[in-house]
Amino acid sequence: MENSRFLVSSSPHIRSGETTQRIMLDVIIALMPALLAGVFYFGLNALTLTVTAVIFAVATEAVMQIILKKPITVNDLSAVVTGILIAFNVPVTLPLWMVAIGSIFAIAIAKQCFGGLGFNFINPALAGRAMLLASFPAKMTNWVAPGADAVSTATPLAILKGGEAAGQALPGLWDMFVGNIGGCIGETSALALIIGGAYLLYRGVINIRIPATYIGTVAVLTFLFGGFDSSAMIYHVLAGGLFLGAIFMATDYSTSPMTPKGQIIFGIGCGFLTSVIRFFGGYPEGVSYSILLMNLAAPLIDKYTVPRKFGEVKKSA
Amino acid sequence: MNLWKDFSNGLIKENPTFRLVLGTCPTLALTTAVFNGIGMGIAATAVLIGSNLIISLIKKIVPNEVRIPIYIVVIATFTTIVQMLIQAFSPALDKSLGIYIPLIVVNCIIIARAEAFAAKNPVINSVMDGLGMGLGFTAALTIISAVREILGAGTFLGMPLFGESFEPVLMMILPPGGFLVYGLSIAAFNKITSPRKS
Amino acid sequence: MRDYIGLTGVLFLVCAVMAASLGYTNAITHDRIQEQIVRANDEARKEVLPDADAFEILDDNTFSKIKSNGKYYFITEIYTAKAGEEVVGYAVKVVPKGYGGAIDVVVGIGTDGIIQGIKVGNNTETPGLGKNSATPKFQNQFKGKTWDNTINVIKSGTPKDNEIAALSGATVTSRAVAEGVNQALEAARELSGK
Repeated sequence: MENSRFLVSSSPHIRSGETTQRIMLDVIIALMPALLAGVFYFGLNALTLTVTAVIFAVATEAVMQIILKKPITVNDLSAVVTGILIAFNVPVTLPLWMVAIGSIFAIAIAKQCFGGLGFNFINPALAGRAMLLASFPAKMTNWVAPGADAVSTATPLAILKGGEAAGQALPGLWDMFVGNIGGCIGETSALALIIGGAYLLYRGVINIRIPATYIGTVAVLTFLFGGFDSSAMIYHVLAGGLFLGAIFMATDYSTSPMTPKGQIIFGIGCGFLTSVIRFFGGYPEGVSYSILLMNLAAPLIDKYTVPRKFGEVKKSA
Repeated sequence: MNLWKDFSNGLIKENPTFRLVLGTCPTLALTTAVFNGIGMGIAATAVLIGSNLIISLIKKIVPNEVRIPIYIVVIATFTTIVQMLIQAFSPALDKSLGIYIPLIVVNCIIIARAEAFAAKNPVINSVMDGLGMGLGFTAALTIISAVREILGAGTFLGMPLFGESFEPVLMMILPPGGFLVYGLSIAAFNKITSPRKS
Repeated sequence: MRDYIGLTGVLFLVCAVMAASLGYTNAITHDRIQEQIVRANDEARKEVLPDADAFEILDDNTFSKIKSNGKYYFITEIYTAKAGEEVVGYAVKVVPKGYGGAIDVVVGIGTDGIIQGIKVGNNTETPGLGKNSATPKFQNQFKGKTWDNTINVIKSGTPKDNEIAALSGATVTSRAVAEGVNQALEAARELSGK
């Protein structure tokens, strides 16, 4: 008798059909418009970098799971998503071996060393990007303008920050919306990212809370910090990795809070940190560091925003 | 003989960096170059041997209530002597180690061995313990700084190893790299030296 | 009471012995340490003015006169370099403000107005970017420039006689160093009376 096959549990007996693989596949689909935009504006190298990042992410996951004597779970496509996101966070001029190192670091250290999918405490793709930026600062900030000839350019945020790139002309708002600007492969086209985000919302993979509060907070704060200038606000919302981060990385399940109130706090926190870093900090862009810092705070936020259990009487203080 | 055991203890079984995880401040800060790592290791070893020797000599007359101030005075004296010698004979080392030479006074390895070993053991054993711990510390620093210097600057003891086209992984000589290499080294050390009971 | 005498006595004894050994070590190393300090400072100056064999700090009067001119705000030290009795140049220390803070630069200028070398010292620039200003590759660009022209920093292309190429990704640092060097050049010119 195959009694190992029978599961005993109580109602409700509903199968949702959701698997990790299905969710990850949805995310991959949602990232395709941004990939197309990246290839369109920066050339085929964008695709090569993405494919390299994915291959190394998947291979690293398999190797790590063999070393750690765990079941191999590359089929759940989470490493593929991490690979794509890492590639989206680097300039198209980055040498292939560097993005490979980023992938290896992100999966081996930020994800597998801490327990694998669901146990990572920070976003692996952002950890990989932070590592690449700290290790290869010159190559990681070598952006080119879209188009055939690789003309070195500065991103809009670098121009706004002043210093090195001050005085260059800021691109127009339409260019910033569709992505005809310098920057990392996946972050330039707000349009493509919004299309992807809409798909994820439709499929129920992400909730509007985090992206909305994140982008909203950045809008409000950049309006304030920029001196009540609404065009500065729109620039800041469209510039940098804000859309990529808010839609695809801040919403990562294991590194963001689970409770609704918590997610709102998380989004506001990310928005606050991003604006402060952009305006008062030493870097032109603050999205990756803000999300990483809020990732660290997520367990604490979860702890303090646990909803009251149904029927529980609030203890009087 | 017991002496050998006391000496070899500090090398592997109770290696101050990889097992006891003591003295992490100089470990993280000074392993950016092999020259610095070895220099700090030797300086700390000198202080360790000296302080273990004296503290073991005077252990019978040190009253329990004031033992910590006395240990600190002894350690601080040896540290200052080592600092003066370094300043006089190797200004290059003085420049690279900088403030970390006087910080040897508060290096936990030294006060820990004083309290845990020298205060309770014969003089010659204490000297052996100091020597073993110091060499274990130096070896650990050398290993970590070799990894960090080769990957982060492409050099070893200042000599470039690769050609002009080598792109160093800068993070290795920055603080995050320090923590990373230290953590991974502890893991590797434990994996290699602990007998696994399956 | 007895207890305290005992404790104090031991403390006193230990401290006395330790202090004595410190005093002894100090006595035998003091002179050598002083020598090393002077040698280290001179070494930096010698690197930028290899022909000199001695350096004399500029006397207070002349230095204050130079500093009273507001445009030399980065200059902190000027040494006259001598080979024998003859003045062969000036070692000027400037501290311009770079991307991450102050950058120590020593500029060696011959009496003929030609830079013999610069040395970038302590700084808090970004490693991998601005920190590369302390490399021979960047510093050697300044060799041979004269006080006839202000040195400009260009980002791309081949630098002309009065230009140097900025460090990739570190224009602010490069500009700061150039500004410091320019002030040093002007001050040296004023000092030599040419």
